[in-house]
Amino acid sequence: MQSDALLHLNLNRRGQFTRRNFLQAAALGVAGSPLLSQIQLNAAEMKKQGRACILLWLAGAPSQLETWDPKPGSPNGGETRKIQTQTPGIEIAHYWPKIASVMNDVALIRSMTGKEAAHERGTYHLHTGHRMLGIEKFPHFGSVVARELGDPNSDIPNFVSIGQTLSSGFLGVQVAPFIIDRPGQLPDNVTSDASAARQRRRLALLSQQERDFAQAGAEALVQEQSKLYQKASLMMTSPRLKAFEFDGESEDMQTAYGKNQLGQGLLVARRLVEAGVPFVEVRSTGWDMHSSIFRNMERRAADVDQGLSQLLTDLKSRGLLEKTLVLCMGEFGRTPKINARPPAPGRDHWVRNFNLLMAGAGIKGGQAIGKTDENGQEITENPVQVEDLFQSMCKAMGINADMELHTPIGRPVRLVDGGAVIKGLFG
Amino acid sequence: MLQRGSSSLRKRPHQWITLVALICLTLLATSSAAPRKNTKKKLPPLNLPPLKTQEQKMQLLGYIRQNMPTLRQGSRVSFSSQDLDKALALELGDTISQAAPLIDDETFIRRASLDLTGTLPSAEKIKTFVADQNSNKRSDYIDELLETEAYARKWARYWTSVIFYESEANKRRVNPEALEDWLAEQFRKGAPWDYITVMLISATPERNKKKKNDYGQDYGPNNFVLACENKSTELASETARIFMGISIQCAECHDHPFDNWKRIQFHELAAFFHPYTYKMPSQEDPTVSTVVKPRFLLGEKPYENMKSDARRVSIAAYLAYNPQNYWFARAYVNRIWSELIGDGFYDVDSLGPDGDVVHKPIVNRIAANFRYKDFDPKWVFRLIMNSQVYQREMRTMDSPSELFTAIRPSRLRPDVVANSVSHVIGENPQLRKEIDTVFDMNPSLPQSTLEGSIQQALLLMNQRELQQALSQSELKQKLLGITSNEELVQSLYLNVLARNPTPDELQRNVSYLQSSEKRDEAVEDLLWVLVNCTEFRTKR
Repeated sequence: MQSDALLHLNLNRRGQFTRRNFLQAAALGVAGSPLLSQIQLNAAEMKKQGRACILLWLAGAPSQLETWDPKPGSPNGGETRKIQTQTPGIEIAHYWPKIASVMNDVALIRSMTGKEAAHERGTYHLHTGHRMLGIEKFPHFGSVVARELGDPNSDIPNFVSIGQTLSSGFLGVQVAPFIIDRPGQLPDNVTSDASAARQRRRLALLSQQERDFAQAGAEALVQEQSKLYQKASLMMTSPRLKAFEFDGESEDMQTAYGKNQLGQGLLVARRLVEAGVPFVEVRSTGWDMHSSIFRNMERRAADVDQGLSQLLTDLKSRGLLEKTLVLCMGEFGRTPKINARPPAPGRDHWVRNFNLLMAGAGIKGGQAIGKTDENGQEITENPVQVEDLFQSMCKAMGINADMELHTPIGRPVRLVDGGAVIKGLFG
Repeated sequence: MLQRGSSSLRKRPHQWITLVALICLTLLATSSAAPRKNTKKKLPPLNLPPLKTQEQKMQLLGYIRQNMPTLRQGSRVSFSSQDLDKALALELGDTISQAAPLIDDETFIRRASLDLTGTLPSAEKIKTFVADQNSNKRSDYIDELLETEAYARKWARYWTSVIFYESEANKRRVNPEALEDWLAEQFRKGAPWDYITVMLISATPERNKKKKNDYGQDYGPNNFVLACENKSTELASETARIFMGISIQCAECHDHPFDNWKRIQFHELAAFFHPYTYKMPSQEDPTVSTVVKPRFLLGEKPYENMKSDARRVSIAAYLAYNPQNYWFARAYVNRIWSELIGDGFYDVDSLGPDGDVVHKPIVNRIAANFRYKDFDPKWVFRLIMNSQVYQREMRTMDSPSELFTAIRPSRLRPDVVANSVSHVIGENPQLRKEIDTVFDMNPSLPQSTLEGSIQQALLLMNQRELQQALSQSELKQKLLGITSNEELVQSLYLNVLARNPTPDELQRNVSYLQSSEKRDEAVEDLLWVLVNCTEFRTKR
């Protein structure tokens, strides 16, 4: 209990030593000399302060040939053309002109190789770093980040997802994703008509009621509920709630992100990160293009191209990109061979090679890692496993990838099982 | 060839007896002993009566059912709640001495009502039940609840959620409400579980191209197949998961890492559901695939030239009527047990043949008797709920050795939370919808792994309509009309938590009322507290 409080005592994500934490430390009786040594001890911890991650999830699995690894001219190329980017020598699909213009800040991994070609299983693999095999429910990477980098006493959740996502698995409700559906609005039910004094009276009475029920045999449920009610109450009065809205954002800024669900979601993600939330996921749907892929791609890519490029530009101009990892990916790739489905051809599931985009948090921009052959069917250079990706994500976040987590039955498991940081990814 | 015609099965017994005999023969043949041989001789086409409509299928299956040896044995076997308690005591050994005490009448009536009907008993009902001197009153009350509409509805919702929770089918091509209504009708009528299962699995919904988005979803029983998008692989894994409690989904891609299920078995099962020739994709090269012949999990093979609709009837028969397939009866028993006790003998849908079944002799015995009792769903409820294992106080348990010495306090399902809220404030469709969304939970996960969320807390704390309704509710007016503070608090607890307050609670709430300046606000606060307490959304 004590060590947990101490670990996060030093500084908050904005690098300030908060008064509330200090008072808590005092209450724990460690405000004397031991505290000083704790601060020194945690000098290494300070480096990761301020780190955050925004995951833009393209649900359904985007095609690598229509994103960062186009193959025009090959039998598998289809209608997709390639365009030159800001970085000489790197070409991407023509649906992405705005990403092309920020290529110097972006690293592409063109040689991802996975193992799961079904949506649910692939989603699980790419969110947890583990395959769905045993009975254990591994945590979403966001929950790991929330636990390692988030302030446990934070007045807003340390992990927010705009759109549905995986759960915190065996890490529990403390670091579960707080899911919202409509970006730009306060979450549902965070305001109360009752005065603060009345609210306090009610909560005091409630905690007595809960104590009785715990004694009657429901300790575990009561403990969980009291954590949730504590978090809910903190959240209701949090000044940081405004990060969920667009107060103070200019009309121009909102337009720059794109006046659509995805663009506004990414703007909220930036605001949340600015407010100190260490992990935000934004979900874009509709990438499972078994048919009509070329027409659908034009429409789907437009929003993401605009929103994502603006996010990178905006984070950079605010000095946040250095410490914020931006990831854009889906669960696997799509068949290089074009199928013949009506009404227009598309591509099916393919896990042997796919690609993704990374930026920020020390990642060297302006590079494309890995290569595939001219038909896009085989990786010819530098294959990257999902475990390698997670090793790299951990490095970017300053999290020890070899750390042991404990499942509910007490079985120790490694946060990332094997793999190595992707060569050349970091500058 | 399949003979078409309007004549019913009954008029042409010789033909369907042929089929029955064929199916029964395969059922009785022991699978492990039979070597897989390719007979050179081409089989003659099977001369079958039409199996197009559900009625025709059910007639045929009804005949197979009548001839099951287990059903005839059933009349001579009995297994009572006392037998269950004795058997469990033997199983538990010394651990039984740590068992929690039996519950009082108040706890019983709330627990039984929530479990069977998903609703709270009224304050009046609680009073008369507690006052009743009849020693059979608990048993009578269970019987009474089993005859209610609410019972049929609650369990129809449960199974609909089991079938649809992880379905990825296009919402316009399925109709969960139609399934729920159909299931409710079955539970109301007391339809046996094999009948319900067989109807769901043997359904062959057909698309009506003349009408937009008409895939036959308005006919309730079609929706299991539609929830699986009529895909062979999905049907195979969902049939095994829901109706056998076996997880073979992993075997789709590779041999199951922990169990005996082999990849080929999964694809043989999938082939059963395929209308034509099923091909298994190669693991090395997705463009290569091999033809797989249908074969049920225990090794039964259908008649070679059977049409796809007849094949679905045969898989239903293999599933429900092969006496060696103890998984079928056990999966139902384990699910109901998990819902009632809070822990299952195994996780409801993740068992392989080598899975760890806790207290296996008990669940196997209940399952065997469930079969003898004609797969009567109500029999399972009666058996468990009249036993001591069900009627024990709750306890938070951590180790498997403690299982079944108490019941686990269980989170109420979303529809039940919504019922409890409307029990306090009256029905509000908008609020019900919001609760259904925010409290949604996977019905196939064990209680011990479910989690609450901040959104759930926020909803009960602040949701505007709920707060307004609490403030304007009839219940609040009624409470305000009571002059004695003690009586007020008693009525409050009876109406919200369906029990009387403890002396501590009485004293605490009375003193809150006394110290408050505005009685109106204070009563509202007390209501708020009880609606927000964990007990309100928990089965104790």
